[in-house]
Amino acid sequence: MLERVLNGVGDMSRRAVRSPVTFSLLFAFALAAAIVAVTGGDPLAAGGEMFTGAVTGSGLRNTLGRSVPIIGMALAVSIAFRSGIINLGGEGQMVIGGLAGTIVAIYVPGPGYVIVPLAMLAGAVVGAVWGLLPAYGQTWLRLPILITSLLLNYVARAITGYLVRFQLLDDAVTLTSTRQVPETARMPKMPIFGGVSLSLILVIVLVALLWMVYTRSVAGYESQMTGFNMRSARYGGIDVEQRTVQVMVVAGAIGGLIGTHLIIGEALRFIDGELVLAGFAWTGLLVSLLAVNRPIPIFITGMFFSALQIGGLAMQRNAGVSWRLSQVLQAVVIVAVACRLAIRRGERPSTEVSDAESAAVGEV
Amino acid sequence: MFEQILDAALFDSATRAMIPILLAALGGMICERAGVFQIALEGIMLAGAFAAVAGSYLAISWTLGVVFGIAAGMLISLALAYGTVTRRGDPIVLGIALNLLAMGLTGFLLPQLFDVRGVFQHPRIDGLDRIAIPVLSDIPWVGPVLFDNTILTYVALLLVPGLWVLLFRTAIGLRLRGVGERPLAAETLGVSPTVYKYGAVLASGALAGLAGAQLSLGNVVQFAENMSSGRGWVAVVAVMLGRAHPVGVLAAAALFALAEALGFRFQGNGLPVQITDALPFVVTLLALIIARKRFARLLDLTTAA
Repeated sequence: MLERVLNGVGDMSRRAVRSPVTFSLLFAFALAAAIVAVTGGDPLAAGGEMFTGAVTGSGLRNTLGRSVPIIGMALAVSIAFRSGIINLGGEGQMVIGGLAGTIVAIYVPGPGYVIVPLAMLAGAVVGAVWGLLPAYGQTWLRLPILITSLLLNYVARAITGYLVRFQLLDDAVTLTSTRQVPETARMPKMPIFGGVSLSLILVIVLVALLWMVYTRSVAGYESQMTGFNMRSARYGGIDVEQRTVQVMVVAGAIGGLIGTHLIIGEALRFIDGELVLAGFAWTGLLVSLLAVNRPIPIFITGMFFSALQIGGLAMQRNAGVSWRLSQVLQAVVIVAVACRLAIRRGERPSTEVSDAESAAVGEV
Repeated sequence: MFEQILDAALFDSATRAMIPILLAALGGMICERAGVFQIALEGIMLAGAFAAVAGSYLAISWTLGVVFGIAAGMLISLALAYGTVTRRGDPIVLGIALNLLAMGLTGFLLPQLFDVRGVFQHPRIDGLDRIAIPVLSDIPWVGPVLFDNTILTYVALLLVPGLWVLLFRTAIGLRLRGVGERPLAAETLGVSPTVYKYGAVLASGALAGLAGAQLSLGNVVQFAENMSSGRGWVAVVAVMLGRAHPVGVLAAAALFALAEALGFRFQGNGLPVQITDALPFVVTLLALIIARKRFARLLDLTTAA
């Protein structure tokens, strides 16, 4: 019995060591350390600051806080990826939904328990509408979502920039920014770890919901089938066009929710261009790729990437190494996983990949 | 009204806007012909722009800047070639990740190497001079617009007929297209798809790197974070719209550049920058809708899995 358990553990650890994800992480950290060393920094000190910065002091609170947009945007993009829809428009859906939510929060009077949900709803609806544009572009006009959703990001930036600058500008500050969200319309914070936004609960609920949909429902199965192979899904009686529209609505709605959260829960003002800067949609996309679009691994990977970023900021403060190193790390992990690099001997790349993980990462 | 808007200065700024898009799109075109899906142009262009400024700053010489730009572009494209050709990874995943890698890396190196945030400007950075071609630059209208420009402008314009000859009138071009269209047949005839695909991807890296150099040493003399700002994606669309044909790609690049230049002009006439910035992307989307029959391949590639 004990032997079998030990064998099992040994087997698991062997598989973990040989997993492309493990190798990719090691590879990314090694490369990042080399970059720091070459550019005149101290990799060990930087790494230490990164770790302590992410989990000690206010670091833990910040890591949990930043995980909300990262996990949220990862969930949004994973829903599309699972169905084989390459939605690169998360950023636009987040930004335009975020502004809609902000407008409701600022200009609609009422008690917080009404306004906060209302603002989130507005953000979700507008984000969903923005997601519908590329969806119909693909189903009606046969324009690839990959391209249209991405180009619409720039259009969304322009529209929100225009509205903030010319319609919603707060003259009291020098920023190109809306007014501050009134205290009553802000997302409440939970009294844990020194104040974590209530939106974290929303994200956890979303993770649980998606997990249930994927593992327990027909819709989840159909959505996954569409992702594996649209043609055979169509033969199997699944309406691929309708599925595309539904998926983009849900993805856009989550993007809008996250955008609204980022303003009424974090920034409190919609500053032109600010929402794009942190690149949450893109970090989320990398998280979803690494987690192979599965909700629970997305939650764990999202926490990890959030810690990387918060640690990166601490590293910038204390070790003088730019936090953008975290972005480099994240991207290198995905490049390495997509290349299916792993610790194996005498292995030759083949079209047939036995490892389910690397296969799924390799083909969105 | 139109005389105010359509003058030589407009076409001059359109030419400058066009060259980076054209260079990157020609690179994308070569990949498309070799059957490699290249969407890392945005990141390669950004890396090229950064490396060009860094090289020019180090040596106080635009020549080294351009060499650095090409090298950086080829380095990133080497990762793409290795991932897609040797490891048979997904070109879309690799393209997206490499774009983000370039964004992160340039954003990281900017403060790390030059101790600045956002924008790097320095008298040591040697920009590309405008070289007036004798006689040709004296032609009224066309002369000053086309023949009084940076050396990379001439390179880009000459590449249009040059690549046409290479693709359609040489054995190398025939094999390259063979690898893209009928890989098995090409292999049977002893043409190595690996060699040609690597060559195509590396060439696209060099060209998109040049595009970046033109951006940061030609159009302006500075590096700003994310200064490629979507031009690489516009180049991807230009390849699609131009049906991966040099002349078509030139026409598509010219269309977007004209939209960008018009945007600048409208800005001067009082239209808000937030709206004019979106103009090239709106024009791109409209062009996609008008020419939509052409993307069956990309749609298959991105949806059928």
